Amino acid sequence: MSALRLGALILVALVVQVTVFADVRISGVAPELLVLFAVMLGYWAGPRSGPTAAFVIGLLWDVYLPTPLGLSAIVFALVAFAVGTGGGELFRDSKVQLAAVAAVGTFGAVAGYALLGEVMGQRGLVDLEMLRVALIAGLVNALLAPLSRPLVAWALGPAFGLSGAGDIR
Amino acid sequence: MAPAQRTGRARHRLILLTLVAITLLTVDLRGFEAARVAQGYVRDVLHPVNSLASSIFSPVGDIWNSVFQYDELEAENAALQQQLDALSGAAIQAEADSSAYRQLLESLELPYAPDLETVTARVERGPVGNFASDVVTVNKGHSHGLTEGMTVVTGAGLVGRVDRVDGVTSTVQLLSDPGLLVGVRLVSTNDVGLGHAVPGEPGVFIINQGPNWPQISEAELLPEIGSAVVTDADSRYTSDVPIGRVIEVRPASDELSLEVLVQLANDVEDLAFVSVLITEQRDEPPLLPVVPSTSVPLDLDPGLLNDLNAGDSGGPGGEAAQ
Repeated sequence: MSALRLGALILVALVVQVTVFADVRISGVAPELLVLFAVMLGYWAGPRSGPTAAFVIGLLWDVYLPTPLGLSAIVFALVAFAVGTGGGELFRDSKVQLAAVAAVGTFGAVAGYALLGEVMGQRGLVDLEMLRVALIAGLVNALLAPLSRPLVAWALGPAFGLSGAGDIR
Repeated sequence: MAPAQRTGRARHRLILLTLVAITLLTVDLRGFEAARVAQGYVRDVLHPVNSLASSIFSPVGDIWNSVFQYDELEAENAALQQQLDALSGAAIQAEADSSAYRQLLESLELPYAPDLETVTARVERGPVGNFASDVVTVNKGHSHGLTEGMTVVTGAGLVGRVDRVDGVTSTVQLLSDPGLLVGVRLVSTNDVGLGHAVPGEPGVFIINQGPNWPQISEAELLPEIGSAVVTDADSRYTSDVPIGRVIEVRPASDELSLEVLVQLANDVEDLAFVSVLITEQRDEPPLLPVVPSTSVPLDLDPGLLNDLNAGDSGGPGGEAAQ
Protein backbone atom coordinates (compact mmCIF):
# COMPACT_ATOMS: atom_id res chain seq x y z
CA MET A 1 0.00 0.00 0.00
CA SER A 2 1.37 3.39 -0.91
CA ALA A 3 0.85 5.60 2.14
CA LEU A 4 1.36 8.72 0.07
CA ARG A 5 -1.22 7.78 -2.53
CA LEU A 6 -3.64 6.62 0.12
CA GLY A 7 -3.14 9.90 2.00
CA ALA A 8 -3.82 11.85 -1.18
CA LEU A 9 -6.99 9.88 -1.82
CA ILE A 10 -8.23 10.43 1.74
CA LEU A 11 -7.44 14.15 1.59
CA VAL A 12 -9.27 14.63 -1.71
CA ALA A 13 -12.25 12.67 -0.43
CA LEU A 14 -12.32 14.78 2.73
CA VAL A 15 -12.22 18.04 0.78
CA VAL A 16 -14.97 16.87 -1.57
CA GLN A 17 -17.08 15.74 1.37
CA VAL A 18 -16.66 19.04 3.24
CA THR A 19 -17.14 21.34 0.24
CA VAL A 20 -19.17 19.69 -2.53
CA PHE A 21 -21.39 17.50 -0.40
CA ALA A 22 -22.23 20.37 1.94
CA ASP A 23 -24.37 21.68 -0.95
CA VAL A 24 -25.10 18.64 -3.09
CA ARG A 25 -27.67 16.61 -1.24
CA ILE A 26 -30.13 13.96 -2.32
CA SER A 27 -33.48 14.37 -0.58
CA GLY A 28 -31.61 16.38 2.01
CA VAL A 29 -29.03 13.64 2.58
CA ALA A 30 -25.35 14.29 1.88
CA PRO A 31 -23.57 11.39 0.18
CA GLU A 32 -21.21 9.71 2.64
CA LEU A 33 -18.08 9.62 0.48
CA LEU A 34 -15.71 9.04 3.39
CA VAL A 35 -17.77 6.09 4.60
CA LEU A 36 -17.64 4.67 1.08
CA PHE A 37 -13.85 4.77 1.02
CA ALA A 38 -13.64 3.32 4.52
CA VAL A 39 -15.84 0.41 3.43
CA MET A 40 -14.02 -0.08 0.15
CA LEU A 41 -10.62 -0.06 1.85
CA GLY A 42 -11.88 -2.66 4.31
CA TYR A 43 -13.18 -4.74 1.42
CA TRP A 44 -10.09 -4.55 -0.79
CA ALA A 45 -7.27 -4.17 1.74
CA GLY A 46 -8.66 -6.78 4.14
CA PRO A 47 -9.13 -6.85 7.90
CA ARG A 48 -5.49 -6.01 8.73
CA SER A 49 -4.81 -2.84 6.76
CA GLY A 50 -8.36 -1.76 5.96
CA PRO A 51 -9.43 -0.78 9.50
CA THR A 52 -6.29 1.31 10.03
CA ALA A 53 -6.94 3.32 6.88
CA ALA A 54 -10.63 3.61 7.80
CA PHE A 55 -9.65 4.80 11.28
CA VAL A 56 -7.58 7.62 9.80
CA ILE A 57 -10.44 8.60 7.50
CA GLY A 58 -12.85 8.65 10.44
CA LEU A 59 -10.45 10.67 12.57
CA LEU A 60 -10.12 13.36 9.90
CA TRP A 61 -13.89 13.42 9.47
CA ASP A 62 -14.33 13.83 13.23
CA VAL A 63 -12.34 17.06 13.07
CA TYR A 64 -15.20 18.62 11.09
CA LEU A 65 -18.12 17.07 12.95
CA PRO A 66 -19.62 18.42 16.18
CA THR A 67 -19.55 14.96 17.76
CA PRO A 68 -16.58 13.91 19.95
CA LEU A 69 -13.22 13.15 18.37
CA GLY A 70 -12.83 9.43 17.74
CA LEU A 71 -16.51 8.60 17.22
CA SER A 72 -16.37 8.24 13.43
CA ALA A 73 -12.89 6.74 13.68
CA ILE A 74 -13.98 3.81 15.82
CA VAL A 75 -17.15 3.21 13.78
CA PHE A 76 -15.29 3.32 10.46
CA ALA A 77 -12.61 0.95 11.75
CA LEU A 78 -15.18 -1.54 13.04
CA VAL A 79 -17.16 -1.46 9.80
CA ALA A 80 -14.00 -1.85 7.72
CA PHE A 81 -12.98 -4.82 9.85
CA ALA A 82 -16.40 -6.43 9.47
CA VAL A 83 -16.38 -5.87 5.72
CA GLY A 84 -12.78 -7.06 5.42
CA THR A 85 -13.46 -10.22 7.42
CA GLY A 86 -16.74 -11.02 5.66
CA GLY A 87 -15.41 -9.96 2.27
CA GLY A 88 -12.83 -12.73 2.38
CA GLU A 89 -15.61 -15.24 1.85
CA LEU A 90 -16.96 -13.48 -1.22
CA PHE A 91 -16.06 -13.54 -4.89
CA ARG A 92 -14.77 -10.17 -6.01
CA ASP A 93 -15.81 -10.05 -9.60
CA SER A 94 -19.33 -8.68 -9.47
CA LYS A 95 -20.47 -5.06 -9.52
CA VAL A 96 -23.69 -6.10 -7.83
CA GLN A 97 -21.75 -7.67 -4.99
CA LEU A 98 -19.56 -4.59 -4.64
CA ALA A 99 -22.62 -2.34 -4.57
CA ALA A 100 -24.29 -4.53 -1.97
CA VAL A 101 -21.20 -4.43 0.26
CA ALA A 102 -21.07 -0.62 -0.08
CA ALA A 103 -24.77 -0.26 0.72
CA VAL A 104 -24.73 -2.55 3.76
CA GLY A 105 -21.43 -1.15 5.03
CA THR A 106 -22.63 2.44 4.67
CA PHE A 107 -25.94 1.68 6.37
CA GLY A 108 -24.04 0.05 9.21
CA ALA A 109 -21.58 2.91 9.55
CA VAL A 110 -24.25 5.62 9.58
CA ALA A 111 -26.47 3.71 12.02
CA GLY A 112 -23.47 2.79 14.17
CA TYR A 113 -22.31 6.39 14.28
CA ALA A 114 -25.76 7.54 15.42
CA LEU A 115 -26.14 4.79 18.01
CA LEU A 116 -22.69 5.25 19.49
CA GLY A 117 -23.13 9.01 19.44
CA GLU A 118 -26.35 8.67 21.39
CA VAL A 119 -24.55 6.45 23.90
CA MET A 120 -21.89 9.15 24.21
CA GLY A 121 -24.53 11.70 25.15
CA GLN A 122 -25.25 13.34 21.79
CA ARG A 123 -28.97 14.04 21.59
CA GLY A 124 -31.35 13.46 18.70
CA LEU A 125 -29.21 11.17 16.58
CA VAL A 126 -31.34 8.04 16.75
CA ASP A 127 -34.79 8.42 15.23
CA LEU A 128 -36.68 7.60 12.05
CA GLU A 129 -34.75 10.31 10.24
CA MET A 130 -31.55 8.43 11.00
CA LEU A 131 -32.95 5.35 9.25
CA ARG A 132 -33.90 7.45 6.23
CA VAL A 133 -30.42 8.99 6.11
CA ALA A 134 -28.74 5.58 6.43
CA LEU A 135 -30.92 4.09 3.67
CA ILE A 136 -30.38 6.93 1.19
CA ALA A 137 -26.65 7.15 1.97
CA GLY A 138 -26.40 3.38 1.48
CA LEU A 139 -28.15 3.52 -1.88
CA VAL A 140 -26.01 6.43 -3.09
CA ASN A 141 -22.83 4.67 -2.06
CA ALA A 142 -24.00 1.50 -3.80
CA LEU A 143 -24.12 3.52 -7.02
CA LEU A 144 -20.75 5.16 -6.36
CA ALA A 145 -18.97 1.95 -5.35
CA PRO A 146 -17.96 0.79 -8.88
CA LEU A 147 -16.69 4.32 -9.61
CA SER A 148 -14.56 4.32 -6.48
CA ARG A 149 -12.83 1.06 -7.36
CA PRO A 150 -10.18 2.47 -9.72
CA LEU A 151 -9.29 5.12 -7.15
CA VAL A 152 -8.90 2.52 -4.40
CA ALA A 153 -6.88 0.34 -6.79
CA TRP A 154 -4.56 3.26 -7.51
CA ALA A 155 -4.16 4.05 -3.80
CA LEU A 156 -3.54 0.46 -2.72
CA GLY A 157 -1.20 -0.41 -5.56
CA PRO A 158 -0.66 -3.75 -7.30
CA ALA A 159 0.21 -5.67 -4.10
CA PHE A 160 -3.48 -5.98 -3.29
CA GLY A 161 -4.38 -7.58 -6.61
CA LEU A 162 -6.40 -4.64 -7.85
CA SER A 163 -5.59 -3.60 -11.37
CA GLY A 164 -8.25 -1.04 -12.04
CA ALA A 165 -11.81 -1.26 -13.26
CA GLY A 166 -11.25 -3.60 -16.14
CA ASP A 167 -11.63 -6.96 -14.42
CA ILE A 168 -14.97 -6.38 -12.83
CA ARG A 169 -18.22 -7.49 -14.38
CA MET B 1 1.03 -17.02 6.89
CA ALA B 2 -1.92 -19.10 8.09
CA PRO B 3 -5.37 -17.47 7.78
CA ALA B 4 -6.03 -17.90 11.52
CA GLN B 5 -2.80 -16.09 12.36
CA ARG B 6 -3.67 -13.27 9.97
CA THR B 7 -7.13 -12.90 11.54
CA GLY B 8 -5.57 -12.89 14.99
CA ARG B 9 -3.20 -10.07 14.10
CA ALA B 10 -6.04 -8.15 12.50
CA ARG B 11 -8.03 -8.48 15.71
CA HIS B 12 -5.11 -7.26 17.77
CA ARG B 13 -4.78 -4.25 15.54
CA LEU B 14 -8.51 -3.56 15.78
CA ILE B 15 -8.34 -3.74 19.58
CA LEU B 16 -5.47 -1.25 19.51
CA LEU B 17 -7.44 1.11 17.27
CA THR B 18 -10.45 0.79 19.56
CA LEU B 19 -8.35 1.69 22.58
CA VAL B 20 -6.92 4.71 20.79
CA ALA B 21 -10.43 5.82 19.82
CA ILE B 22 -11.71 5.40 23.39
CA THR B 23 -8.80 7.46 24.65
CA LEU B 24 -9.54 10.22 22.15
CA LEU B 25 -13.23 10.15 23.02
CA THR B 26 -12.46 10.42 26.72
CA VAL B 27 -9.99 13.24 26.21
CA ASP B 28 -12.41 15.17 24.00
CA LEU B 29 -15.47 14.63 26.20
CA ARG B 30 -13.55 15.85 29.23
CA GLY B 31 -12.79 19.09 27.40
CA PHE B 32 -9.03 18.60 27.15
CA GLU B 33 -7.82 21.85 25.62
CA ALA B 34 -4.99 20.32 23.60
CA ALA B 35 -7.40 18.07 21.69
CA ARG B 36 -9.58 21.04 20.80
CA VAL B 37 -6.60 23.11 19.73
CA ALA B 38 -5.23 20.25 17.63
CA GLN B 39 -8.54 19.89 15.80
CA GLY B 40 -8.64 23.62 15.17
CA TYR B 41 -5.10 23.47 13.84
CA VAL B 42 -6.03 20.73 11.37
CA ARG B 43 -9.02 22.73 10.17
CA ASP B 44 -6.86 25.84 9.79
CA VAL B 45 -4.21 23.94 7.83
CA LEU B 46 -6.84 22.50 5.50
CA HIS B 47 -8.77 25.76 5.22
CA PRO B 48 -6.94 27.07 2.12
CA VAL B 49 -7.51 23.75 0.37
CA ASN B 50 -11.17 23.78 1.32
CA SER B 51 -11.56 27.40 0.23
CA LEU B 52 -9.98 26.64 -3.13
CA ALA B 53 -12.14 23.55 -3.55
CA SER B 54 -15.23 25.54 -2.59
CA SER B 55 -14.42 28.07 -5.29
CA ILE B 56 -13.80 25.36 -7.87
CA PHE B 57 -16.78 23.18 -7.00
CA SER B 58 -19.22 25.97 -6.18
CA PRO B 59 -20.80 25.72 -9.66
CA VAL B 60 -21.41 22.01 -9.09
CA GLY B 61 -23.56 22.80 -6.08
CA ASP B 62 -25.30 25.61 -7.88
CA ILE B 63 -26.08 23.45 -10.90
CA TRP B 64 -27.25 20.71 -8.64
CA ASN B 65 -29.59 22.99 -6.73
CA SER B 66 -31.04 24.78 -9.68
CA VAL B 67 -31.07 24.43 -13.43
CA PHE B 68 -31.36 27.99 -14.72
CA GLN B 69 -28.82 30.71 -13.87
CA TYR B 70 -28.88 30.03 -10.19
CA ASP B 71 -26.01 32.41 -9.46
CA GLU B 72 -27.84 35.53 -10.57
CA LEU B 73 -31.05 34.44 -8.93
CA GLU B 74 -29.21 33.62 -5.75
CA ALA B 75 -27.44 36.99 -5.67
CA GLU B 76 -30.65 38.85 -6.41
CA ASN B 77 -32.54 36.82 -3.86
CA ALA B 78 -29.84 37.38 -1.23
CA ALA B 79 -29.90 41.13 -1.85
CA LEU B 80 -33.68 41.27 -1.61
CA GLN B 81 -33.66 39.07 1.48
CA GLN B 82 -31.08 41.32 3.08
CA GLN B 83 -33.25 44.38 2.45
CA LEU B 84 -36.34 42.61 3.75
CA ASP B 85 -34.48 41.38 6.82
CA ALA B 86 -33.16 44.85 7.53
CA LEU B 87 -36.65 46.37 7.31
CA SER B 88 -38.20 43.60 9.36
CA GLY B 89 -35.48 43.81 11.98
CA ALA B 90 -35.67 47.57 12.10
CA ALA B 91 -39.40 47.41 12.81
CA ILE B 92 -38.94 44.96 15.66
CA GLN B 93 -35.94 46.83 16.99
CA ALA B 94 -37.92 50.08 16.91
CA GLU B 95 -40.70 48.49 18.90
CA ALA B 96 -38.23 47.12 21.42
CA ASP B 97 -36.42 50.46 21.59
CA SER B 98 -39.66 52.28 22.13
CA SER B 99 -40.60 49.97 24.98
CA ALA B 100 -37.15 50.25 26.52
CA TYR B 101 -37.20 54.01 26.19
CA ARG B 102 -40.53 54.26 27.97
CA GLN B 103 -39.12 52.22 30.80
CA LEU B 104 -35.96 54.28 30.78
CA LEU B 105 -38.03 57.36 31.47
CA GLU B 106 -39.66 55.55 34.36
CA SER B 107 -36.50 54.14 35.81
CA LEU B 108 -33.08 55.48 34.97
CA GLU B 109 -31.52 52.22 36.14
CA LEU B 110 -32.62 50.31 33.07
CA PRO B 111 -29.62 48.83 31.21
CA TYR B 112 -29.75 49.28 27.49
CA ALA B 113 -27.65 47.87 24.69
CA PRO B 114 -24.95 50.32 23.70
CA ASP B 115 -23.54 50.61 20.20
CA LEU B 116 -21.55 47.47 19.67
CA GLU B 117 -18.59 46.62 17.53
CA THR B 118 -19.50 44.03 14.92
CA VAL B 119 -17.59 41.82 12.52
CA THR B 120 -19.31 40.93 9.28
CA ALA B 121 -18.72 37.35 8.17
CA ARG B 122 -19.60 35.41 5.05
CA VAL B 123 -21.24 32.03 5.39
CA GLU B 124 -18.73 29.66 3.80
CA ARG B 125 -20.78 26.50 3.96
CA GLY B 126 -23.75 24.93 5.58
CA PRO B 127 -23.65 21.87 7.76
CA VAL B 128 -21.29 19.04 6.83
CA GLY B 129 -22.46 15.48 7.22
CA ASN B 130 -25.96 14.34 7.96
CA PHE B 131 -26.28 14.83 11.70
CA ALA B 132 -25.53 18.49 12.31
CA SER B 133 -28.15 20.44 10.42
CA ASP B 134 -28.26 23.59 12.55
CA VAL B 135 -24.74 24.96 12.12
CA VAL B 136 -22.96 27.07 9.52
CA THR B 137 -19.29 27.87 9.07
CA VAL B 138 -18.32 31.54 8.63
CA ASN B 139 -15.06 32.99 7.34
CA LYS B 140 -14.00 34.81 10.49
CA GLY B 141 -12.21 33.39 13.52
CA HIS B 142 -9.87 34.13 16.41
CA SER B 143 -7.71 36.36 14.25
CA HIS B 144 -10.72 38.64 13.69
CA GLY B 145 -11.58 38.91 17.37
CA LEU B 146 -14.23 36.21 17.61
CA THR B 147 -14.55 34.07 20.71
CA GLU B 148 -16.95 31.31 21.67
CA GLY B 149 -20.37 32.40 22.83
CA MET B 150 -20.59 35.67 20.89
CA THR B 151 -24.00 36.68 19.55
CA VAL B 152 -24.54 36.33 15.80
CA VAL B 153 -27.15 38.49 14.07
CA THR B 154 -28.35 39.78 10.73
CA GLY B 155 -30.38 42.87 10.00
CA ALA B 156 -33.48 40.90 10.98
CA GLY B 157 -32.23 39.84 14.38
CA LEU B 158 -30.74 36.91 16.20
CA VAL B 159 -29.14 34.12 14.16
CA GLY B 160 -27.40 32.12 16.88
CA ARG B 161 -24.15 32.01 18.78
CA VAL B 162 -20.53 31.32 17.96
CA ASP B 163 -19.94 27.72 18.95
CA ARG B 164 -16.44 26.80 17.80
CA VAL B 165 -13.69 29.22 16.83
CA ASP B 166 -10.62 28.42 14.75
CA GLY B 167 -7.94 30.77 13.51
CA VAL B 168 -9.76 31.99 10.41
CA THR B 169 -13.16 30.30 10.55
CA SER B 170 -15.89 29.74 13.11
CA THR B 171 -18.89 27.51 13.50
CA VAL B 172 -22.18 29.17 14.40
CA GLN B 173 -24.91 27.25 16.21
CA LEU B 174 -28.14 28.46 14.64
CA LEU B 175 -31.29 29.53 16.41
CA SER B 176 -33.10 26.71 14.59
CA ASP B 177 -31.33 24.17 16.83
CA PRO B 178 -33.95 23.01 19.36
CA GLY B 179 -31.15 22.43 21.85
CA LEU B 180 -30.22 26.13 21.89
CA LEU B 181 -32.04 27.81 24.80
CA VAL B 182 -32.46 31.57 24.59
CA GLY B 183 -33.49 33.92 27.37
CA VAL B 184 -36.14 36.22 25.88
CA ARG B 185 -38.29 39.18 26.79
CA LEU B 186 -41.84 39.65 25.51
CA VAL B 187 -41.97 43.30 24.60
CA SER B 188 -45.73 43.78 25.08
CA THR B 189 -45.85 42.33 28.62
CA ASN B 190 -42.21 42.60 29.63
CA ASP B 191 -42.28 38.96 30.79
CA VAL B 192 -39.03 37.07 30.49
CA GLY B 193 -38.75 33.40 29.68
CA LEU B 194 -36.77 30.66 28.05
CA GLY B 195 -37.41 29.60 24.49
CA HIS B 196 -36.11 27.28 21.82
CA ALA B 197 -36.87 26.29 18.23
CA VAL B 198 -39.63 23.78 17.61
CA PRO B 199 -38.31 20.51 16.15
CA GLY B 200 -39.71 19.87 12.69
CA GLU B 201 -41.24 23.35 12.36
CA PRO B 202 -38.66 25.61 10.71
CA GLY B 203 -38.96 29.25 11.65
CA VAL B 204 -41.08 28.65 14.75
CA PHE B 205 -39.82 29.31 18.25
CA ILE B 206 -41.58 28.38 21.49
CA ILE B 207 -41.39 30.05 24.92
CA ASN B 208 -42.87 27.98 27.70
CA GLN B 209 -41.07 28.68 30.95
CA GLY B 210 -39.60 31.44 33.01
CA PRO B 211 -39.83 33.20 36.35
CA ASN B 212 -43.38 34.42 36.96
CA TRP B 213 -44.38 32.83 33.69
CA PRO B 214 -48.12 33.50 33.10
CA GLN B 215 -50.51 30.68 33.89
CA ILE B 216 -53.56 29.85 31.88
CA SER B 217 -55.80 31.66 34.34
CA GLU B 218 -53.93 34.93 33.85
CA ALA B 219 -55.48 36.02 30.59
CA GLU B 220 -54.60 39.65 31.21
CA LEU B 221 -50.89 38.78 31.06
CA LEU B 222 -51.03 37.23 27.60
CA PRO B 223 -48.75 38.85 25.05
CA GLU B 224 -50.39 40.47 22.06
CA ILE B 225 -50.37 38.55 18.81
CA GLY B 226 -47.87 40.24 16.55
CA SER B 227 -45.90 41.80 19.38
CA ALA B 228 -42.13 41.59 19.34
CA VAL B 229 -39.87 39.19 21.20
CA VAL B 230 -36.27 40.17 21.90
CA THR B 231 -33.34 38.73 23.83
CA ASP B 232 -33.41 39.44 27.54
CA ALA B 233 -30.74 41.48 29.29
CA ASP B 234 -30.07 38.57 31.65
CA SER B 235 -29.62 36.03 28.87
CA ARG B 236 -26.23 35.01 27.58
CA TYR B 237 -26.89 37.06 24.45
CA THR B 238 -26.63 40.77 23.87
CA SER B 239 -29.88 42.32 25.11
CA ASP B 240 -32.77 43.49 22.93
CA VAL B 241 -31.72 41.64 19.80
CA PRO B 242 -34.94 40.95 17.85
CA ILE B 243 -36.01 37.30 17.68
CA GLY B 244 -39.44 37.45 16.07
CA ARG B 245 -43.12 38.13 16.58
CA VAL B 246 -45.75 36.30 18.60
CA ILE B 247 -48.03 34.29 16.33
CA GLU B 248 -49.95 32.18 18.85
CA VAL B 249 -50.53 31.83 22.56
CA ARG B 250 -51.89 28.45 23.60
CA PRO B 251 -52.23 26.25 26.66
CA ALA B 252 -49.36 23.84 27.22
CA SER B 253 -50.01 20.11 27.19
CA ASP B 254 -50.54 20.19 30.97
CA GLU B 255 -53.44 22.66 30.42
CA LEU B 256 -52.10 24.84 33.24
CA SER B 257 -49.33 26.96 31.82
CA LEU B 258 -49.01 28.83 28.57
CA GLU B 259 -46.89 28.42 25.51
CA VAL B 260 -46.05 31.37 23.31
CA LEU B 261 -45.23 30.58 19.68
CA VAL B 262 -43.01 33.03 17.83
CA GLN B 263 -42.33 33.38 14.11
CA LEU B 264 -38.58 33.93 13.81
CA ALA B 265 -37.61 37.17 12.10
CA ASN B 266 -34.64 35.48 10.46
CA ASP B 267 -34.65 32.73 7.87
CA VAL B 268 -31.60 30.96 9.25
CA GLU B 269 -31.72 28.33 6.53
CA ASP B 270 -30.78 30.84 3.86
CA LEU B 271 -27.94 32.95 5.17
CA ALA B 272 -25.27 34.62 3.07
CA PHE B 273 -23.73 37.13 5.50
CA VAL B 274 -23.98 37.55 9.27
CA SER B 275 -22.66 39.99 11.85
CA VAL B 276 -20.93 38.88 15.03
CA LEU B 277 -21.33 41.20 18.01
CA ILE B 278 -17.91 41.61 19.59
CA THR B 279 -18.88 41.48 23.24
CA GLU B 280 -17.94 39.26 26.13
CA GLN B 281 -20.68 36.70 26.60
CA ARG B 282 -21.51 34.43 29.46
CA ASP B 283 -20.94 30.90 28.29
CA GLU B 284 -23.31 29.20 30.68
CA PRO B 285 -27.04 28.82 29.96
CA PRO B 286 -29.24 31.47 31.56
CA LEU B 287 -29.90 30.65 35.20
CA LEU B 288 -33.51 31.49 35.78
CA PRO B 289 -35.72 30.11 38.52
CA VAL B 290 -37.68 27.90 36.17
CA VAL B 291 -41.29 27.11 36.97
CA PRO B 292 -41.90 23.48 35.94
CA SER B 293 -44.73 23.27 33.49
CA THR B 294 -46.38 20.52 35.55
CA SER B 295 -46.61 22.59 38.73
CA VAL B 296 -49.97 23.75 40.09
CA PRO B 297 -50.03 27.52 40.46
CA LEU B 298 -50.81 28.79 43.95
CA ASP B 299 -53.58 31.03 42.70
CA LEU B 300 -55.26 28.37 40.59
CA ASP B 301 -59.05 28.56 40.56
CA PRO B 302 -60.22 25.86 43.07
CA GLY B 303 -63.08 24.96 40.76
CA LEU B 304 -60.65 24.18 37.96
CA LEU B 305 -58.58 22.02 40.33
CA ASN B 306 -61.72 20.09 41.36
CA ASP B 307 -62.60 19.58 37.70
CA LEU B 308 -59.10 18.24 37.03
CA ASN B 309 -59.27 15.89 40.02
CA ALA B 310 -62.68 14.68 38.91
CA GLY B 311 -61.26 14.03 35.46
CA ASP B 312 -58.34 12.08 36.94
CA SER B 313 -60.62 9.91 39.11
CA GLY B 314 -62.42 8.82 35.94
CA GLY B 315 -59.25 7.14 34.69
CA PRO B 316 -57.86 3.74 35.63
CA GLY B 317 -55.79 5.22 38.48
CA GLY B 318 -58.79 6.90 40.01
CA GLU B 319 -60.84 3.77 39.85
CA ALA B 320 -58.09 1.78 41.52
CA ALA B 321 -57.94 4.32 44.34
CA GLN B 322 -61.63 3.94 44.94
